Amino acid sequence: MKNGISLFKYGASLLGIVFLSATIYAAEETAPGVKGMSEEEFTPTKEVLAVKYVQADKPYHMDVESLKDRFKDAKGVKVALQKQDKAFPNGGGSVSSAEVKAVHDGTTIYFQISWSDPTKNVRAIAVQEFRDAVALMFPLGAVEVTPAEHFSPRMGDREKPVNLWHWKADWEADLVAKGELEDVEAQYPNMHDDFNTNPYSAYYHRELITSVAVLSGGRAANNLLSQPGRGRTVEDLNAEGFGTLTTQDHQDVNGCSHYEDGTWTVIIYRSLITEDPHDVQFVPGGNSYFNMAVWNGEEKDRNGQKNISTQWHPITLERVAWQ
Amino acid sequence: MTLVHNWHLGRRMEYPYFESRPKRQFAAIFNINRCIACQTCTMACKSAWTYNKGQEHMWWNNVETKPYGGYPQSWDVKTLKLIDNGENTWYTNEKDEKLSPYGVYEGDTIFEAAAKKNLNQWAVGYIPEDKEWRSPNFGEDVAKSNKPDEYSSLPEHSRWFFYIQRLCNHCTYPGCLAACPRKAIYKRKEDGIVLIDQKRCRGYRKCVEQCPYKKPMFRGLTRVSEKCIACYPRIEGKDPLTKGRPMETRCMAACVGQIRLQGFLDDNPKNPVTWLIRHDKLALPLYPQFGTEPNIYYIPPRWAPRAYLRQMFGPGVDEAIEKFMVPSRERLAVMSLFRMAQAIIFEYKIEEGPKVFETVIHGKKFEMFNDTVIGYGEDGQEILRTTIEEPIHIRDPKYLNSI
Ligand code: SF4
Ligand code: SF4
Repeated sequence: MKNGISLFKYGASLLGIVFLSATIYAAEETAPGVKGMSEEEFTPTKEVLAVKYVQADKPYHMDVESLKDRFKDAKGVKVALQKQDKAFPNGGGSVSSAEVKAVHDGTTIYFQISWSDPTKNVRAIAVQEFRDAVALMFPLGAVEVTPAEHFSPRMGDREKPVNLWHWKADWEADLVAKGELEDVEAQYPNMHDDFNTNPYSAYYHRELITSVAVLSGGRAANNLLSQPGRGRTVEDLNAEGFGTLTTQDHQDVNGCSHYEDGTWTVIIYRSLITEDPHDVQFVPGGNSYFNMAVWNGEEKDRNGQKNISTQWHPITLERVAWQ
Repeated sequence: MTLVHNWHLGRRMEYPYFESRPKRQFAAIFNINRCIACQTCTMACKSAWTYNKGQEHMWWNNVETKPYGGYPQSWDVKTLKLIDNGENTWYTNEKDEKLSPYGVYEGDTIFEAAAKKNLNQWAVGYIPEDKEWRSPNFGEDVAKSNKPDEYSSLPEHSRWFFYIQRLCNHCTYPGCLAACPRKAIYKRKEDGIVLIDQKRCRGYRKCVEQCPYKKPMFRGLTRVSEKCIACYPRIEGKDPLTKGRPMETRCMAACVGQIRLQGFLDDNPKNPVTWLIRHDKLALPLYPQFGTEPNIYYIPPRWAPRAYLRQMFGPGVDEAIEKFMVPSRERLAVMSLFRMAQAIIFEYKIEEGPKVFETVIHGKKFEMFNDTVIGYGEDGQEILRTTIEEPIHIRDPKYLNSI
């Protein structure tokens, strides 16, 4: 590919070489900018995440403090993470592992993910700032992941859709902000007053300015990222391969987080069963798979620039023990 | 990567998608020689599209002073550094009217530089920080003096600055579109306008990073990126003023200095935009070496140092300035169409008039004829009619003081 550049400057006369080079690309790349995957990646890990059944009532506050007890006896799996190196843009590599535990109480499934990240990035309002985030991914429908099946652990594939739960640190900040969306003034508190010492200034009239309706393509198009009042910290999405990530019309997942001593602890939960055909469904006694990714905002991680696990991890759900 | 032809560079280049040119391409010509930097265009855009919360730093249209100005600061110098491989030269001995009118560029484009550096992304780029988007008119009217003790005289001033009017170039091979991992950016087949799908955008800022002209902008309030939309409702003829005819954008129509002409690049040699760009080669692309085949074209300022201009507009600069200084009969006529109407002109016709003036400019004979120029709309109907000699109106002494 690199040699190509200098050779093709004079284009037309070198048609033969152009053709040759196209064949070489095809061998390396399954699509422009996408490298093929190894057989190993289509094989799930040996280690299984056992989703323990715990009998516990829903706490009044769905926060890490109130929920952490139910993970006490759950056995976690350590997930190795690496740089995303298959689809453009490649990136990530700053987070090498995460621990995942899961429990269910017969109605709700809880995943607890923790990883170390020395920097806490909870806002993405300035153009150069990116948030910390974590996502879980599940194959949609009853799927048996085997090497023969070729079910991609990286964003799924055409006809092989996945359901993703994406927790975002800034959504958590939005949730508690006025109007349920951190405003630009959270980032730039003096944005209108920097050169203005007159408290009764005619230049900036806060009430007047905030009374003007926000004209925004993102809001008009119902982009969930642009909306205030989402009421949640986790986005429910689907994908069918690289670049196809799509927000669901129906949002069912939520979560909470805690950051201490350079470690994120994020709990993501959803009811075991939903009515949405685009959601993964969990049946006690049944099984599924998960995969995951972590974004480090400090490293400007976003989209494919992330720390990923390259294999599916089997999940088994413990049966409900009726008493 | 696929190989596509970029006629600005006179050669094929690598791009992630196949060559797919629109039916006709949104394009404009700015005559830098006439700009007075009044920023009326800037405000026309601002008051239409970016007057809202979270858009305080956004100027989809801006006018900056060269060499020191830049919005965001030093955007061009920074991007030029990223593609610099020490031999970013042009091979101008052989030209082909259609495929390589300016010769062949031998350096790297933003796409090729990324592949060479093994960046594993489509193009080189950087994200200007919030502070770089501030003070959009920094450096205004600051001149550069090459020889401080000398008086300036034409053709090239030793003490100089000029204004450059900038908006999204609605590139043929957009860096922003290539960069977006979600394909949230698309180029319209009908007019080549490049848009960010506001529903698919997830605020990754890859377009902010990889547009070499730094025209997509991140809006912190709504967490997605926005950019110039080429006033597409006007282009589609939705504004009642032109009664369904395609209409020039806000920033074009507002131009007080009459430096702007906007329309479409197409195959019609009698389309004034096509004629000035492809046939007369009076108007040149901005930083063609970036490789995106930008579609805003400039008539370079005749007083600025040629080396600087060649870096900015490519090797066509000398010929363009020479042509501008001593305009031909047809060129003068076509240039009279600038800002004569709001409806887009699709074709022009010249009716010959008598010779009215003759002189010598820089040793060359110049003759002026009072020709009549007629502009036609998309429907073939006459939109305007003007003459080379502007009519003089003498006010009745009775009204001397009235406005
Ligand atoms: S100028 Fe920038 S934003 Fe506009 S089409 Fe070109 S690459 Fe995209
Ligand atoms: S074309 Fe329209 S949207 Fe684009 S810079 Fe001009 S006024 Fe603004």
